[in-house]
Amino acid sequence: MTRILAIEDDETTAREIVSELTRHGFEVEWIADGRQGLVRAVSGEFDAVTLDRMLPFVDGLTIASVMRSTGVDIPVLMISALTEVDERVRGLRAGGDDYMTKPFASEEMVARLEVLLRRAQAQPRQTKLRVQDLELDLYTREVRRGGREIALLPTEYKLLEYLMRNSGQVLTRTMIFEAIWGYHFDPGTNLIDVHLGRLRRKVDTPGLEPLIKTVRGSGYALNAAS
Amino acid sequence: MRRPELWRTTTFRLALLYGAVFAAGVVALLGLIYVSAAIYLTHQMDEIVIGQAQALEVASPADLPEKLREVETQDVRSVNFYGLFRPDGSWIAGNVHSLPASAPPDGIPRELREPGLQPGARAMAKRLPSGEILFVGFDAKVLTGFRTIILRSLIVSGTLIIVLGLGLGAALSLGPLRRLQLVQQASLPILDGDLGARLPTSNRGDEIDMLAGIANGMMDEVERLLWAVKSVGDNVAHDLRTPLTRLRALLYRVGQEEVGAPDAHRAMLDQALAETDALLTRFKAIQRISEIDRRERRAGFGAVQLQALVNEIGDLYGPLAEDHDLQLATETAPGCEIMADRELLFEAFSNLVSNAVKFTPPGGSIRLKLTRLAEGPRIEVTDSGPGVPENEREAVLERFYRGRREPEAPGSGLGLSIVAAVARLHDFRLVLGDASPGLKVTLDCWPIAMSH
Repeated sequence: MTRILAIEDDETTAREIVSELTRHGFEVEWIADGRQGLVRAVSGEFDAVTLDRMLPFVDGLTIASVMRSTGVDIPVLMISALTEVDERVRGLRAGGDDYMTKPFASEEMVARLEVLLRRAQAQPRQTKLRVQDLELDLYTREVRRGGREIALLPTEYKLLEYLMRNSGQVLTRTMIFEAIWGYHFDPGTNLIDVHLGRLRRKVDTPGLEPLIKTVRGSGYALNAAS
Repeated sequence: MRRPELWRTTTFRLALLYGAVFAAGVVALLGLIYVSAAIYLTHQMDEIVIGQAQALEVASPADLPEKLREVETQDVRSVNFYGLFRPDGSWIAGNVHSLPASAPPDGIPRELREPGLQPGARAMAKRLPSGEILFVGFDAKVLTGFRTIILRSLIVSGTLIIVLGLGLGAALSLGPLRRLQLVQQASLPILDGDLGARLPTSNRGDEIDMLAGIANGMMDEVERLLWAVKSVGDNVAHDLRTPLTRLRALLYRVGQEEVGAPDAHRAMLDQALAETDALLTRFKAIQRISEIDRRERRAGFGAVQLQALVNEIGDLYGPLAEDHDLQLATETAPGCEIMADRELLFEAFSNLVSNAVKFTPPGGSIRLKLTRLAEGPRIEVTDSGPGVPENEREAVLERFYRGRREPEAPGSGLGLSIVAAVARLHDFRLVLGDASPGLKVTLDCWPIAMSH
């Protein structure tokens, strides 16, 4: 079972994190202060850490940088009440793999953590991504479904690659926008939906089993059912 | 803001005014002295002329020519004129050879205007008992000399007064002017939005200090009130976001666990989720504006290629525009590199294009245009929608303003406020104009300060 360490001093937030992660089948240990958190984070007993930015005794940035400097390379999801983008940059520079601001939707927290875990486990020398009969060649940038080639625009290609790398995983609109376009604001409207819609029309042509699924109230997933 | 100029300062003008009044006083004084002296001297000359005539007329007619020659030799200054004429006017003796017409033989001294004489010279002619006419005159060399002295004094003192007045005015004005310039410099950041900045005061306690003190007091109050207003907004936004996020999580979980629920229930749940998301979006936007306004993002500044940025926006919004049956065209120019916060600029343009898509009726068009002007790059977002009436163009940049005709349009209602905040942070000029029909938003990507 995947073990997650949650370092969070706010009890309400901590309870939310623990219950949401437990609900998704993770084993969670909660630590409320920075000093104890640092000790547990470098213990080698966990697969990932959710790390509050501001903690008593030792702050989140220090924990992340100590983890990295001691060779602990498990995914770290920084969670902070500090929304400024400079803070995000600082968090990621210190060794965080992703940065979320409070308050957050708990399913988004889980989704981000799952993406991080998957990235950590991915085989590094992959040349092809495959989900059922959908194939994406990372070298030739060719995409085929059931042997039939699909012509994609650059953005659509990036989108599909991201979905395929995280197949089965719920990806929120914010996560997709951040991953594909690299910006960290709320683009609003149904901007992301429109791009997904285009991709879907090319990938899930009539008569084929739909692979790109809309996850009610949260986002999208490729091949979520299987 | 215009720099204060020396000659515009009150002190300088006062010094000039004092100089002018003083100069007028000096002119009046010297004039009075001259007029009094001229009257006095004229009177003296008349007495000299009368006295000399009396001294001469006591001599017998036969001795008179000899007497005249005698006094002539004594007149080393050659200011005296004498003449003795027969009753028919022909010359007998003296250095005046013809009787001047302006001197009737009535024994009354008059002014004598003759070439070779100074103006103001006095002379009299008198008929002697012998019938001969005795002429005595006195040249006004003293008066002329005195006039020259007065005029020279006027020129010298006038020059001195003007030079000293200007110098004193400048000297007196420079001190306050320098302090005013300091005040002006100190006020620039305040105008720029840094409400924490204050005007400098010295411990002199003069009127500039007094005014600076009043201005600082007002700034304290403005800052306090603004913070109060802002923090109310921010706190409300922040405090409500947490429970709203939890509410959303609950709704989401209910939705997840209500497998097999009637469609009507699902629809209501979805609507509840959508409403919560809309609220969250709005609160996030409020916090976002405060965040941009707090200016902690100058750190994000770097070189930005606007052409790439505009193309990226075009790619991001092209599909959305197409779905709304709108034509999105981009027109760019190469080599438009500026120092800016790329993410914030992108967010700003994203909001502008998003608004354009929202408000332009199907079949319309949106144009994104990047041009390079002499001052710097200019970006225009033009749509063929209903536009914004002129009297509302300022207001739409404020928080929460929305055109009255579109009360049901989706979004936080804060898009343009975010754009305005980004423009403020960069010191770029944001102008809403008329594309007749439609709205044309222009962002001039160079510091406003440079345009003045």
